Amino acid sequence: MSIIFIAVNLAFALLIAPVIDGFERKIRARLQNRQGPPILQTWWDLIKLFKRPTIEPQDSVNSLYKLTPYMTFTAVLTAYLIIPTLLPSSINFIGDFIVVVYLLGLATLSFVIGAFSSGNPYAQIGSNREISLFMSEELLLAFIIGTIAVIGKSLSFEQLFPLPLRISSALTLILLFIVIYVASARLPFDIAEAEPEIIEGPLIEYSGKHLGLLEYSMFLKRLLLYSLLLNFILPVQNTTRLIGYLIGIIILSVVYSTFEAYYGRFRIDQAVKLMKKLSAIALVVWIIALVGW
Amino acid sequence: MLLIPVGILIIAALIGLSKAKIVLKIVSTLSAIASVAMIYVGILGFRTTLELKYNLFNSSSLFTSLNWLVFRVDSLSAFFLLILGTLSLCASIYGIKYMEKYFDKEDMRVYTFNYPIFLLTMYLVLICWDLLWFIIFWELMSLFSQFLVAFEQSEEKAVKAAFKYFCMTKAGAEFLVLAVVLIILKATNFNANYSEIATILPTYLSAHLGMLYALTFALLIGFGVKAAMVPFHSWLPDAHPEAPSNVSALLSGIMIKLPIYMLLRFFISFFPLRPEIGIVIAVFGVLTLFFSMMYALLQEDSKRLLAFSSIDNIGYILLPMGAGIYFLANGSQLLGSIALAAALFHTMNHALFKGLLFLTAGSVMYETGTRDLNYLGSLAKKMPATAFAALIGSLAIAGMPPLNGFVSKWMIYISTLSSPATSLFGIIAIFISAVTLGAFVKYFTAIFTKPAVKEIDAKEVPVLMSAPQLLLALLCIAFGIYPFIPLKMISQALGSIGVPLASLVVYPSLVVPKTGSYSPIVIFAFLLVSTLIALLLIPSRGSVMSTWKTGRSEDLNISMPADAYYRDFKEAFNEVYVLGDASKGFVQKVAKIGKMFGTKFEVLSYDLDSMLSLAMILIVVLVAVLGGVGL
Repeated sequence: MSIIFIAVNLAFALLIAPVIDGFERKIRARLQNRQGPPILQTWWDLIKLFKRPTIEPQDSVNSLYKLTPYMTFTAVLTAYLIIPTLLPSSINFIGDFIVVVYLLGLATLSFVIGAFSSGNPYAQIGSNREISLFMSEELLLAFIIGTIAVIGKSLSFEQLFPLPLRISSALTLILLFIVIYVASARLPFDIAEAEPEIIEGPLIEYSGKHLGLLEYSMFLKRLLLYSLLLNFILPVQNTTRLIGYLIGIIILSVVYSTFEAYYGRFRIDQAVKLMKKLSAIALVVWIIALVGW
Repeated sequence: MLLIPVGILIIAALIGLSKAKIVLKIVSTLSAIASVAMIYVGILGFRTTLELKYNLFNSSSLFTSLNWLVFRVDSLSAFFLLILGTLSLCASIYGIKYMEKYFDKEDMRVYTFNYPIFLLTMYLVLICWDLLWFIIFWELMSLFSQFLVAFEQSEEKAVKAAFKYFCMTKAGAEFLVLAVVLIILKATNFNANYSEIATILPTYLSAHLGMLYALTFALLIGFGVKAAMVPFHSWLPDAHPEAPSNVSALLSGIMIKLPIYMLLRFFISFFPLRPEIGIVIAVFGVLTLFFSMMYALLQEDSKRLLAFSSIDNIGYILLPMGAGIYFLANGSQLLGSIALAAALFHTMNHALFKGLLFLTAGSVMYETGTRDLNYLGSLAKKMPATAFAALIGSLAIAGMPPLNGFVSKWMIYISTLSSPATSLFGIIAIFISAVTLGAFVKYFTAIFTKPAVKEIDAKEVPVLMSAPQLLLALLCIAFGIYPFIPLKMISQALGSIGVPLASLVVYPSLVVPKTGSYSPIVIFAFLLVSTLIALLLIPSRGSVMSTWKTGRSEDLNISMPADAYYRDFKEAFNEVYVLGDASKGFVQKVAKIGKMFGTKFEVLSYDLDSMLSLAMILIVVLVAVLGGVGL
């Protein structure tokens, strides 16, 4: 039964993740007084990319360059075994919070290794920024994980979904909301890609199927993080969960894309410093959680 | 059985005294055979307890315990013996080819004599069952490893590093001697046998808390120096890079783990469990992992980066060890045993992947003659096997699932994060794990994928060098996907020092009830299958084109040197480095003052009268210390 649930969740994620991006593109366009593409446009883009042949740059380390987009994609996909999306899942022997965080780390790592092995200097600059941002973002995330573990006295999602109603859990979820925004590489935090400066950075040499896979995994990662946040709030094993989940996804998309539409890009040092400041706040939240509020 | 490796290694060392070129091959082969014997002893040690007793002197001297030379292998020493055997097997085989490039430059006898002796002393430290003999073997181990560090005698840096290493470990060992003498004189009535100490000491120390703290202080300094615990770490980043790479692999992989072995013996089976001692160890662990990794991020020398990361991993071992002691003392058996198991598991993992990484750094040196990360680049195409091994090592040390590094890190987080007292330690450990990822992305990409400054001439290393690397890489993968074998050994090893480990294994997962779960098999299988499906559905086939150069015909001529990595991150976290440098300056000042006193003392020592009176005062102080602490 629960294996079927996981399969449904996976299929849902694979189908819907690009649709959500299409939806967000539409919202951004409307906010900027544009007509915007149809909601399914991201799907059509992906399908087009998957039909195209791939190109291997001369200076690249071929095997790594070709394999890493697949690794990035599957690492994100594996996290869906653990975090339920549409249907609540009762299997929790596969992994816990730590495993999810490290699977996302694996996705980032293989993405970066692939970019480094393309042999293009712009990709190096971009990957370098990606890792700098990843490290500082992980500091904030570490505090969030610590706080959640203190509140729930566990790291297993079975115990953590949903979090008990406390001041500290509300504050932590706000911080998690920010980390998710940063981790999903949107303006003003798309410093690693930064089209106008370093021409898509790590993605610069990728084309066709590889590019499609990498973009697809980014959409999947966003949906995964949305689901993580929503699961902390929504009640488990309830019919309202389904409706709440769908509404939650829409609300998050609207809020995130509104932010994205109105911001310019940070410099990398500004972003890292911001993460550091937020981590100081997270430390305070952690203390609040320790006190027991 | 216990003496077979001893015999082989002594023969090897004697052969090593000769100058002939063939000696290197013979000594390396003999060491490899001895390593296999050590692995066999380790496996036997898990089945039964091996014991050997010799009555050396038939006198009734003061130290009766020196009369008896007792060797004994229980599950804990067997666990470390397996690590030692595996790693020294790889390092010995690797050395056959690797050391050849020193033939014309250095006196090979320094290596061929000291290498087997070094292995022998480590083996003896692990199997001896008597504190006095332990001190003797321990000092010998420091001595002979120091000769290996100073192998390149023509290089001033190597000799200096060896001297620093020797001074610091020697000073640390004095604290151990003091501690051991205190234990033997005050508590155990001239008895130094481990089994008897384990029965007498805990009750004695529970009644004499002052002595417990004094001993803890001495042991933490003594073993801390050897294990390169911050703030006693400064010898390691100098000494480990200077040694030949296979020796560095042994130094980092197993030698700095022997203090961990002894700390476990002392703090778990000899001392009463006290929560405050556990917290102190954990705090030192956190300091160690935090500062060393932040500094590893700055390094531009491949082996120096690895050396800093070795210190970091000592932190990752000390942290769960301290947390484990804390939990056990507070009565939470489950978390305590998991934390201690994490410490042991990480010890093994670090030996595997750090040994592997040092060997890859050695292979790169063998081919290119340099450790400079700024200069190196794009070697992956020329050395594919080494690059693969280095990639696996980097992934494992960054703790990526489904490799072995993740399992032990997962156990560390699970045990520390969910309880308030240790939560902050776990948080810092997660952050530093991400920094480790950054440092090893730098290590891997700077050597193997970034465009080189100029074309480097290199080819794949010979089979004798790549095979040990691949073996270690294979072990990293195997123990990551199937961690149940090492966990079984660890639970037995912990059982032998009196800590029962609840079975975590709920096939196919590791489950800590109500706290966390991780299923390496499922995750690995899903990663593999879905990658294969993706490769089938969206096959990657295409043509080779030239790299994009913004439309220009000539090369862009921009490449990022290693010192430019993560510059913004370093600037943002500048406070850490300011703090680190300030404490470094402080230590240097202390060393300078010490040197000044040393010079004064030397001048003084020409004057016999004042010398004698000073010696007398010192003896009085020593007697007062020895006699007074227990009161």
